[in-house]
Amino acid sequence: MTTPYASLRRVPNPGWGPLSTLPGNPLMWVLILSEMLVFSAFFALYAAERVTATALFDVSQRQLDPLMGGLNTLVLLTSGLCVALAVEAVNHAQIRRARQWLGASMALGVLFGVIKGVEYAGKFAAGITPETNAFFGFYYGLTAFHFAHVLFGLALLALVSWRTSTENVETAAAFWHMVDLIWILLYPLLYLLR
Amino acid sequence: MTALPGTRRLLATWATLMALTLLSMVSARLDQNSWQALPLWSAGLVVAATGYKVQRLLMVYLNLRVATPAWRGAFVGLVVLTLALIAGGYLAARLS
Repeated sequence: MTTPYASLRRVPNPGWGPLSTLPGNPLMWVLILSEMLVFSAFFALYAAERVTATALFDVSQRQLDPLMGGLNTLVLLTSGLCVALAVEAVNHAQIRRARQWLGASMALGVLFGVIKGVEYAGKFAAGITPETNAFFGFYYGLTAFHFAHVLFGLALLALVSWRTSTENVETAAAFWHMVDLIWILLYPLLYLLR
Repeated sequence: MTALPGTRRLLATWATLMALTLLSMVSARLDQNSWQALPLWSAGLVVAATGYKVQRLLMVYLNLRVATPAWRGAFVGLVVLTLALIAGGYLAARLS
């Protein structure tokens, strides 16, 4: 028969009620869930607008460079791998190794920002702004909102590189993976599905 | 301490995610000079690849595989719903 103590040991976060079986910091999962819901609502709005202005969305979508978006996807996925390896390292008490992985992840996060900046600069140089039309309103709105998450994630990763503990790194990693997840959904929506 | 996926599984997942991204890019035919609407099979492939990528990210990178089936189902369900919104909006626009 399983003792109460043994059953408590089986869950990652005893005492968190329904959230106790989630890995890492349970509050980060609440954030991930809420962010996914918020972005899903925006995706639904985008879909509805696209139906009412299909030709405009098609012409506008043609102005985007799917290769840049794809390159950014590859960069973020690799950054996510580095963060996951940092979690592995910190769980094996390899603090220095964990910091190296976190550093690599941040470098890739910055590269994502540089590519996004180049993309934005190209659009602005061509006179394409958020007010150009509904499609570009969504494009700038969604990607800038996502980019704000990237910046916050970079700050979190920097913070846990300084205060490196298992819980801190797992929490920052979960946020970074959420940023990754949202981009994986954004990329086909804006760049590929035409 | 939560059971982690391990380096080998992380690397395999990363390789899968990269391959699926490249597959999506190829199937979406990125040649800007011959821009045209995607055939439905190609759009379906992009959506399916995206769904699988998100599922792997949740289960391996975010390590959701150690959570209860209810939580796994909730998150996968939300992803399926989101992809249905994306695909439904795309189809409605294409077929209108």
